[in-house]
Amino acid sequence: MGILAAFRELDAAVEAIEDLKQQKITDITVYTPTPRHEIEEAVHPPPSPVRRFTLIGGLCGVVFGYWIAIWTSDYWPLVVGGKPVASWVPYTIIGFEVMVLVGALSTVAGMFVNSRVPKITMTVGYDPRFSHGDYGIWVPAAPDRARAVEETFRRHGAVEVRHER
Amino acid sequence: MATLARPGSGAPAPNVASANVQLPAVRDYEQVDNEIAASLTPTAGWFGALGLAILLFLWGAGAWVYQIYWGLGNAGYNPPVMWGVYIITFVFWVGIGHAGTLISAILYLFRAGFRTTIYRCAEAMTVFAVMTAGLFPIIHIGRPWKFFWLIPYPNWRLIWPNFKSPLVWDVFAILTYLTVSSTFLYVGLVPDIAVLRDRETNPVRKRILSVLSLGWRNSEREWRHFARMYLFLAAFSTPLVLSVHSVVSFDFAMALAPGWHATIFPPYFVAGAIFSGIGMVFTIIIPIRKFFKLEKYVTINHLDAAAKLCLMTSLVVGCAYLIEFWVAWYSANKFEQDYFWNRVFGQWWWAAWIMLTCNMIFPLSLFSQKLRRNPAWLFILSIFINLGMWFERFVIIVPSLSHEFEPWQWSGYIPSWVDISILVGSFGWFFMWFLLFIKQLPVVAIAEVKEIVPPKLRKAHPHGDHIDTSGRHQEYEPDTPGEFA
Repeated sequence: MGILAAFRELDAAVEAIEDLKQQKITDITVYTPTPRHEIEEAVHPPPSPVRRFTLIGGLCGVVFGYWIAIWTSDYWPLVVGGKPVASWVPYTIIGFEVMVLVGALSTVAGMFVNSRVPKITMTVGYDPRFSHGDYGIWVPAAPDRARAVEETFRRHGAVEVRHER
Repeated sequence: MATLARPGSGAPAPNVASANVQLPAVRDYEQVDNEIAASLTPTAGWFGALGLAILLFLWGAGAWVYQIYWGLGNAGYNPPVMWGVYIITFVFWVGIGHAGTLISAILYLFRAGFRTTIYRCAEAMTVFAVMTAGLFPIIHIGRPWKFFWLIPYPNWRLIWPNFKSPLVWDVFAILTYLTVSSTFLYVGLVPDIAVLRDRETNPVRKRILSVLSLGWRNSEREWRHFARMYLFLAAFSTPLVLSVHSVVSFDFAMALAPGWHATIFPPYFVAGAIFSGIGMVFTIIIPIRKFFKLEKYVTINHLDAAAKLCLMTSLVVGCAYLIEFWVAWYSANKFEQDYFWNRVFGQWWWAAWIMLTCNMIFPLSLFSQKLRRNPAWLFILSIFINLGMWFERFVIIVPSLSHEFEPWQWSGYIPSWVDISILVGSFGWFFMWFLLFIKQLPVVAIAEVKEIVPPKLRKAHPHGDHIDTSGRHQEYEPDTPGEFA
C-alpha cells in the first residue's frame, strides 16, 4: 500500500525526493527512463556490492582454470621433451579464460541478486510511462501519512498521484 | 581552429568537431522511443534481404552436408596445405567479432561518446560473427560429431584434452568470448526490452517481452547495480577481446613454419581483428542508418570518429606488415626471407597485393576529413577492407604451408566449390541472424541514447552553461555518454 507519483520534469522529481527525505521518509523507490546523476545524488544510495560478486567469481574461476589443467596433467603424467608435466605458462591461458568467464557470469548474477530481478510479476507501484519519458516515485505509506506524501508530490508538480494497494 | 568549407557557399563553415557526439536533432526521450521503435517494423526490403541470406545459408549448409557425406577430400586441401578456406574464414569471423567488443567495452571504459549509437549493432555483430566463426573448426575437423572431445568433461575413459595445445586454448577462448559477449549484449538489451514491453499492445508479444525484460522496472536501485555490472563486464571484456585473438594467433605462432613463428603475431592479429571489425561495422551501420532513417542518431560526427579509429588501426596493421618484412630481413634466416619474397613477389603475389592495397593503401584516404564524412565512400571502403582482411588471413595461412623448408614439399592451393560454398554460406548465416535481430530488438541502445538527450526541466535556467536544442538554457547538462558506472 502506498502512493505513486509521476513527474514530467527531472528537477521536479529531484525536489520531491529531497523534500521527502527532509520529512524523514527514506523508503522511496524512484523510477527513471535512464540513469541520472541528479537522482543518484538526491537518493544518495550506498555503493553497489556487485563488485564483491565480481571478485569472488573471478578468483573462483582462475583457481578452477589452473586446477583443472594441472590436475588432468598429473592424472596422466606423460613427460614430453623433458618438460614439466604441469606447465604453468600455457595453463595461464586456461586460468585467465575461466577467470573471465566465471567472473563475468557472477557479476551478472550479482546484479540480478541486488536488483531483485528477474521479477515474476509486475507488482504495485509501477507505470509503463516510467520507461518512456516520465520519472516516478513510489512511497509505501500507511493512510495516516498518505496525505502528507500526496501533498508533497503535488506541491512539486506531479502530473499524476495515485494510491495503490 | 581548422575550418571545413561548406560546398558551394564560399564562406568557411565551422569545423564540426568529431568529439561532439551529442544528438542535436533529438529533443526528448519520447522521440527516442518512438523513432527507434519505428525501425522495428518489417519492410519489403528487409524481407528480401532476409530471403537472400537464408538462400545463401542453405547453399552453404547443403555443401557442408555434401562434404560430411563424401568426406573432407572434397575440400580443396592439397598436402602440405591442410589448412585452407575453413581456417582462413574462422580467423576472419573471429576478427570481425572484435570490433563489437572494442566499441562496446573498450570505448566505454575510455568514455568515447561516439560509441553510444553504434555499439548495439557492433555487439550483435560480435555475437553472430563469433557464432559463425565457431562453426569453422567444427567443419574443418571433418567429423563434426566428435567436436565435444575438445571439451574437458568427466568420462569413463579417463581421457582429458591436452591443455598445452593451442587448439584447446582456442576452445576455451572462443567459448568464453561467445558466452561473455552474448551476456554483455543481452544484459545491455534488458532496459530497452522493457521499453518495448511497456509500449506493446499485442498480448502475446507483450508476454514474450515481459519474460525477456526480466521484469525490469527502471528503478534507481536497478540502474545503480546495472551500471556497476556494466562497468565490470566491460572491464572483463577488454582483456578478453585482446586475449582471444592472441590465442588465435598462437595457433600459428606456436608452429615452426616460416612466416608463423613470430612474437609479433598476437598484437598483429589483434590490430587486424579490430580493423576488420570496424570495416564490418561500416558495412552494416551505413545501410541501417539510411534505411532505418537513423541519421539523427548515427550522425556524420559518429561516422567521422569511427573512421579515425579505422584509419589508426589500418596504420597499425600496415606497420605490422612492414615489420614482418623487416624481421625476415634482420633475422638473416634464409627460409624466412625466401618465404616473404615468395609471398609478395612470387607464387602468391596477387593475394598479397590485394591485402596490401585494401588494408594499407585505400584506408589512407581517411586522412581526408571530407571522405571520413562521406557515408558512401565509407561503405565502399568497408567492402574493400572486408575483402582485404579475408585475404590477409589467406596470405598468412596458405603461403606458409605451401612454401616450408623442403623444396620437394612446395605446393599450391585452389579452394574447391565446397570451400567456396561454405564460405558464402557463412555470410548467409551471419546476415540471417543479424537481420532477424534488427527487426526484433532495438538496433540503437534506447536507454543510453536517453543519457545524452537533455532531460525535461520545469525551470529554465538563465545563466546555465548548456543550451538545449530549442535554444533555451538548461540547468542540467547532458551527461557524458557511458559515464554511469
